[in-house]
Amino acid sequence: MNVTKLSLAALLVSGSAISASADTTELHFIMCGGEVREADQKTVDEFQAKHEGVTVNLEAVPWGTCQDKSLTLAAAGDPPSIAYMGSRTLRQMANNDLIVPANISAETPYQDGVLNTVTIEGQAWGYPHAFSTKALYINCDIIEESGQECVAPKTWDEMYAMAKGVVDNTDVAGVGLAGKDFDNTMHQFLNYLYSNGGAVVDPATGENMLDSQQTRETLEFYGKLVDVAQEGPTAWERDQLRDLFNDGKIAMYVQGPWGYGQHNEDINQLIAPVPAGPSGESGTILITDSIVVFKGSGHEELAHELAQMITSGDSQYDLDSTWGLTPILDYAALGKTDLYYETGIWPNFTATISTGGPEPLVEDFKSLQSVFTNMVQGIILKDDTVDNLVTIAGEELDEAL
Amino acid sequence: MTDVMHAEGGATARRERKAISESLFAWLLVGPAMIFIAVIVAWPLAETIRLSFMEAGLGGEKFVGLANYEDLAGSRRFHQTIVRTFYWMFLSVALKLVLGLIGATLLNAAIPGRALFRVLVMPPWVIPIAIGCIGWLWLYNGYFGVLSGVMMHLGITDGPFEFLAHKQSAFYSAIATDVWVGVPMVTLFFLAAMQGVSRDLYEAAWVDGAGRWYRFRRITIPQIMPVIVSMSLLSAIFTFNSFEIIWILTEGGPRGATTTLIVDTYKTAIGNYKFGEGSARAVIIVLLLGLFSLAYLFFLNKVNKKYGVK
Repeated sequence: MNVTKLSLAALLVSGSAISASADTTELHFIMCGGEVREADQKTVDEFQAKHEGVTVNLEAVPWGTCQDKSLTLAAAGDPPSIAYMGSRTLRQMANNDLIVPANISAETPYQDGVLNTVTIEGQAWGYPHAFSTKALYINCDIIEESGQECVAPKTWDEMYAMAKGVVDNTDVAGVGLAGKDFDNTMHQFLNYLYSNGGAVVDPATGENMLDSQQTRETLEFYGKLVDVAQEGPTAWERDQLRDLFNDGKIAMYVQGPWGYGQHNEDINQLIAPVPAGPSGESGTILITDSIVVFKGSGHEELAHELAQMITSGDSQYDLDSTWGLTPILDYAALGKTDLYYETGIWPNFTATISTGGPEPLVEDFKSLQSVFTNMVQGIILKDDTVDNLVTIAGEELDEAL
Repeated sequence: MTDVMHAEGGATARRERKAISESLFAWLLVGPAMIFIAVIVAWPLAETIRLSFMEAGLGGEKFVGLANYEDLAGSRRFHQTIVRTFYWMFLSVALKLVLGLIGATLLNAAIPGRALFRVLVMPPWVIPIAIGCIGWLWLYNGYFGVLSGVMMHLGITDGPFEFLAHKQSAFYSAIATDVWVGVPMVTLFFLAAMQGVSRDLYEAAWVDGAGRWYRFRRITIPQIMPVIVSMSLLSAIFTFNSFEIIWILTEGGPRGATTTLIVDTYKTAIGNYKFGEGSARAVIIVLLLGLFSLAYLFFLNKVNKKYGVK
């Protein structure tokens, strides 16, 4: 008797659970970066309020594992509905039929070069959601302590001379260099490469452009900087350099606009565009992170709608201005008047957008990263000549493309 | 006569039925374990071997025959990785065994507070490896780490030294951490073996005038030799496949200086989504460890014969 009652109760409970799940739709939203920004959460709440019965399961995953997790879930047939990821992964996901194209209105006023970071052969595959450019942060207290005037260097020679002056006259390293097995080692190198007129991949033809005189000059400069940099650059990635900068152990380093708010308030900072190399003009790497809609979740339409809500107009402005990001949209064209990026530190980050270059979109991003890491670590550890390292990198890039 | 034949026939049938039912019962007992092994070991192994003949990625699979193995055979970098892996394994295991033997001998000595010292050996083994490695990561840091600070203070270096930034120092630093993690287990096994050695042997040797070193060399070592050999194999397999320590400290860098076979396999299969190439590497690891285990069994057999262990 008891068994019968228990069975009936179990049946009722499971039945009600099934009917409850049938009434709700859950979007699995993977948010790379390990946190959900208030601006994004607000939009997600609005989306849920608009769609009764639809819930968004926001899962914040740190960058180190997030993209692998999203890709692995998708490849295993259990894709998230939507994810915020680095745009560099788009080609890999698109080529493997894991994501669906983005529906971006042609009238959306993105900044120059932004759509190039998500577009493959004319088709946009992600909704750009976060944009960054880089600039040089200088600790003027250290520069002055070394007996130099704290004036932004405009060329590589001026930058090296300033760093050398610091090393010669203080106990501090002249510059912070990133060289760890990490993506931003490639990013740091590309800041200098794009400031020397170099290129990695021709956006129009897809041709490998790495093996060039500009790359050789850039790698040679990177090798020269090692002599005035912190000890052991191969153990440091860009965000760890921030700690050295805050501790007064390096006089300058390249970082995104968010660095300004992360540096100690008592540091007398000067921010300047990345100095120009002998063959180019001051530039930067243009990096975006995007919202992507995965194929096969069963909620693609809802996911598109959420992506559009979260990336447009007020929501995007709210995120950019509160997070301290390079403006991804031309907000003046959207009628905004209180443009945070027209004053203060921002011109240093927006001035180089037109001369910047994209993070290359290749199918095998990890291999691309390895090509650059091998080349950069090779010069840091003085394993080989500039000429050989660039030649090898060019050949390895051919395999990655 | 007929009754006798009937009776004999019935007994034979009963014996056969009993034999069948015993056999069935045995299979029933072994069955769950076999299913478990098939699901946990055999199927993944078979799947790995199958994938090693494929070009497999996020987008699907394509049969490529021996191409993945041919690529590895022709890769100078892969050959270097194999050599590095064995060097890593032999050096680390040798250090673990020597330090474990020293530690066990000290802990086996009749000293006050011996129980406390035995407990103090445990932390590197008990602490989760990831947490221990993060501690080492800070120790090795040139600007904020203790080791670099002490070296500067003693005048050994005139500035910060990043242990994980240079090829050689990164490799030996990773070995030091691996030894730190592995020594407690070896120590405790050796200690247990030493405590099983009969006191009579030491007393007889002492009466005959044998010194400490002689007793250690001629009694302790031979008596615990089977445990030493067993620990060598176990430790070698653990060290060969040691992943977390290298991954947390260096991720195989700089410039591949700490990339062992297992790290290379992970980077290829999981990092780069080249499941076929990664599987070929995994199969090679299984083969190498299989060969190593066979050599070990041969050696263990000889040791056991020499020391009369059955």
